[in-house]
Amino acid sequence: MKMSRRILFNVIAWGLVLAVAFPLFWMIVTSLKPGFELFRRPPTMLPETVTFEHYWRLLSETPFLLYFRNSVILASATTVVVVGIGTLGAYSLVRFRYRGRESLAFLVLFTYLLPSVVLIIPLYLFMVKLGLSNTITSLVIAYTTFALPYALWLLRSFMAGIPEDLESAALVDGASRLGAFRDVILPQLLPGIISTALFTFILAWNEYLYALVLVNSDGARPLTTGVMTMLISAFNIEWSLLMAASVMMSVPLIIVFAFLQSYLTRGFGAGAVKG
Amino acid sequence: MATADLSPLERKYARLGIVLIGPTVLVFCAVIVYPLISAIYLSLFSIYTPTLEGEWVGLSNYAELLAKGEFWSSLWTNIIWTVGTLTLQILFGVGMALILHQNMIFRSLARSLILFPYFVSTVVAVLVWRWLFNDLYGILNHFVMWTGASDMPVDWLGSMPNALLSVILVGAWKYFPFVVIATLARLQTIPDSLYEAAKIDGAGPIARFFDVTLPQLRDVLVVIIMLRAIWDFKEFDLIYLLTGGGPVTSTQTIPLLVYKEAFALNQMGMASAYAVVMMALMLVFMILYIRRTQENEL
Repeated sequence: MKMSRRILFNVIAWGLVLAVAFPLFWMIVTSLKPGFELFRRPPTMLPETVTFEHYWRLLSETPFLLYFRNSVILASATTVVVVGIGTLGAYSLVRFRYRGRESLAFLVLFTYLLPSVVLIIPLYLFMVKLGLSNTITSLVIAYTTFALPYALWLLRSFMAGIPEDLESAALVDGASRLGAFRDVILPQLLPGIISTALFTFILAWNEYLYALVLVNSDGARPLTTGVMTMLISAFNIEWSLLMAASVMMSVPLIIVFAFLQSYLTRGFGAGAVKG
Repeated sequence: MATADLSPLERKYARLGIVLIGPTVLVFCAVIVYPLISAIYLSLFSIYTPTLEGEWVGLSNYAELLAKGEFWSSLWTNIIWTVGTLTLQILFGVGMALILHQNMIFRSLARSLILFPYFVSTVVAVLVWRWLFNDLYGILNHFVMWTGASDMPVDWLGSMPNALLSVILVGAWKYFPFVVIATLARLQTIPDSLYEAAKIDGAGPIARFFDVTLPQLRDVLVVIIMLRAIWDFKEFDLIYLLTGGGPVTSTQTIPLLVYKEAFALNQMGMASAYAVVMMALMLVFMILYIRRTQENEL
């Protein structure tokens, strides 16, 4: 009796999990099917013939690799800038006392919730005025608007978790404040920095609206808007090709995800994740 | 705290603290505070996007906006979308968290699979769903006709109310994992002794859920609902990419209206006015959330 109930629970639970994951499974299956099999009715659940032709065409005949390169540069640059500035800022917010500190923390949380559409028009005008429109730099600047508050908020809670005694001990031993930061705080904070960096990278990798508005040339276009251009400009939509692009676009996320497993819960515990 | 009371060392530290926060403050002023103020300023002008030339019109953008049917219908759609998708996210998210909290085989694999929709790009999610929704070859329509629920392929995105329901459904699929993780983290901290006490009192599984689990989850659920309400309300990518606001304007929310006004109708001043009104509406939720977070920290 107890056994059969457990089996039933497992079947239902896994049924639900698989239903949620089905669109992702279908994405991979579609990307591997040859053209003629795609339009067969009823559809085949697993491809009868596995083909990598769509991946090959994606890499050789479309600007996919260019978009991919742009996305890698964009997401990495955003992560480095944001985590660098954010680590110093979080250290200051948590461990120093000065006027205006509380209101700054308030401002960080406020901007963390701010909608992008409010900032997008002034930012667009700003980039046009600076002559930066259609560059990856303009996107890095725009991405700090959501990534910096997010990273600061996460790092701030990681920083608060480091016992203050450690730093005091180093100071008593004659270390300078910055020396203590480098030798005591940074090593302790490293897991937090890694997890913040991974989350920031994902945010930047997935961003769409700023890329849509600020960049209008293939030279600087990241994957998100690039792949959508492939959908819109195609005469008839090639779903296999688009699914192959979707899979390729998710590969870095899967790699990050594998890294993230151990850091994941830490990030969520420390201050939720932006959506 | 007056600066005069501080020792020289403390004053030196305060200065160092300000130097360290300096880059953050600079970036904040340049890319957030300045654009925010100029959004409000721009909303008082009438600006033609291609030439960027404009003239002062004062508050007339706001007067026009409040008299427009399109603003009110977009606001209404925005509210339906937010309430609809948030309700599904919470119900499905808490349900899934309760399941994943139990002993099941390959639990960590199941958890990773559930998280995936949340981490893939909205672009990927939308492409996959548009393929699933495809009227001729989409697997959903095949399934619908195979079960006999309908003789005709369903037009998932091109007609109402289907389009709005589809958008709400995809939104729930994409964002419910957030609810799962946050709830799961809280579930793991509920002490077993509470359940044992309830068991001794003769409470069944359902009574235990309502008497022990739910009250324990209350605080975290309030936070999740506020955060997700803010994020769902301002959602642009998912709706824009799935339906573009269509058919006609049936799924157009305020963020889409801002984008359309600024970059399709080329009225930047008017678009800024929409954006400012939207922010004012969200401010209530934002302040509620910030208040709550600060209370928790004290």
